[in-house]
Amino acid sequence: MVTPVLAVEAIRKSFGGVTAVDRVSLTLAPGKIYGLIGPNGSGKTTLFNCITGMERPDGGRVLLNGRRIDGLKPHRIANMGVGRTFQVIRVFPELTALENLLVVTRGPREEAEQRGLELLRFVKIERLRDEFAGNLSYGQQKLVEFIRMLMTEPSLILLDEPAAGVNRTLLNDLLEAVRGLRDEGRTVLLVEHDMKVVMGLCETVFVLDHGEKIAEGPPGVIQSDERVIEAYFGR
Amino acid sequence: MSGRGRMFVAGLAVLVLVLAVYPSFGSGYGVRSMLQLFMWMALAGSWNLISGLTGYVSFGHVAFFGAGSYTAAILITKAGWPWLAASLAGGLGACVLALLIGYPCLRLKGPYFAIAMLGLNEVLRALVSYFEGLTGGGLGLSLPTLQATVPVYYVMGLTAIGVTALTYVIITSRFGLRLMTIREDEVAAEAMGIDTFRHKLYAFLLSAVGPGIVGGLAARDQGYIEPISVFPLAMTITMIVMVLFGGKGTVWGPVLGAATLFIFQELVWAQFIYLHQLLFGAIIIGVVLLMPRGVLGLLQMKYRLPRTI
Repeated sequence: MVTPVLAVEAIRKSFGGVTAVDRVSLTLAPGKIYGLIGPNGSGKTTLFNCITGMERPDGGRVLLNGRRIDGLKPHRIANMGVGRTFQVIRVFPELTALENLLVVTRGPREEAEQRGLELLRFVKIERLRDEFAGNLSYGQQKLVEFIRMLMTEPSLILLDEPAAGVNRTLLNDLLEAVRGLRDEGRTVLLVEHDMKVVMGLCETVFVLDHGEKIAEGPPGVIQSDERVIEAYFGR
Repeated sequence: MSGRGRMFVAGLAVLVLVLAVYPSFGSGYGVRSMLQLFMWMALAGSWNLISGLTGYVSFGHVAFFGAGSYTAAILITKAGWPWLAASLAGGLGACVLALLIGYPCLRLKGPYFAIAMLGLNEVLRALVSYFEGLTGGGLGLSLPTLQATVPVYYVMGLTAIGVTALTYVIITSRFGLRLMTIREDEVAAEAMGIDTFRHKLYAFLLSAVGPGIVGGLAARDQGYIEPISVFPLAMTITMIVMVLFGGKGTVWGPVLGAATLFIFQELVWAQFIYLHQLLFGAIIIGVVLLMPRGVLGLLQMKYRLPRTI
């Protein structure tokens, strides 16, 4: 069997008396798109934070390509090839669009600039390269955040609600881009509330409820799973 | 380079040339004043490196000035060092202090760091008062008499140029942009692979060197230092106001701010001894309310000026 890109093993995390993530395990194989769904407060973002090093899990292990990464600092994990976007947009507002991309790169500046311009062109906002990111519209900022993550050439991509607040056209472009990343051999894990997006994009879906993983499988199967329906709609 | 850029560089060269020959025709008071202006440029520029770029407000930056002053003064009086070497050692001393303080304190987030720095300044002042044998305690240290105003003028000027040049190099580099991401969104910076702690520490070390050197030079120039004269909180406040006025996080903001406020202070100080503090306070309030980005920050936002401003 291939070494999984990411193996989350029985991760636990509580805040005070609240158990946000309770012994969750996930295995991600390379070159696939995975979905992570669940009602509000089910622990999706906390799980993301445990994977990316923003929270230190109370128990369990996280392995990236077989190497243990839980407890490492976020920048170390990022430099090992994990890229993420945030639920609430986090661009650098007083850096220009192009600077937002440049700043995450190393190596020759010329090359980085070329790559940055290429990506700006790819999402059709090249003309905004010298505009402060904070002056851009919500959708444009979302694009900048997305391609900024791509500038780091991640092999594992975590997207926290990529579809939220994005119009249909932009959304379709984004989804197309995500498929393209998958086809390049990258692995994608996305948190999403929009079921259409999840069902259309993901090969495997994990469902969290109250911090526990209650289901895992292809979208079609998940949709009719008794426990999933119960978690979302109640009995 | 654009035509306007070339004119700017040419104007700058002429200005530096005039300042270089100024001591040969300027009055003693004029040279003294320029020397102090250079000092403020170096101080404001240094504060800008840590606080203007990373957003970590240092409320005790004068601590590095004081540390440099005492390092240099002790080396001059107790070890007989020449003042130039002693002042450079003051810069190094301040840098070492920054390492000792920054290593624990830069792990603190914004406001806590500001308070910790405020505390540092008070602790240092108490320490130099306590170790009388070395520092002269509350009585201070008198340096051997030496007429060195003109050479100090040149070294002070070079330090101001050095700090500004360093700022230029940093701001136009990706290292500088990475420092700014800490100000903009530290969490996102980390998630994008930027070692924020290390970057903050580097900026902090660099920001301590200038004040350390300048502290040593000021000690030499004044010929006498005591705890209250080299660790005054008001000096940190002045640095902050200068940078805020000129434009934080810009290359020329601290220079502009230092020049404007210094000239203003000199003029008004002479006219109204009591009122000038009130006016100074009014400027602080005005800047914070009306143009929180400062003069250059405002222009930058409006006209999309390059980072070289």
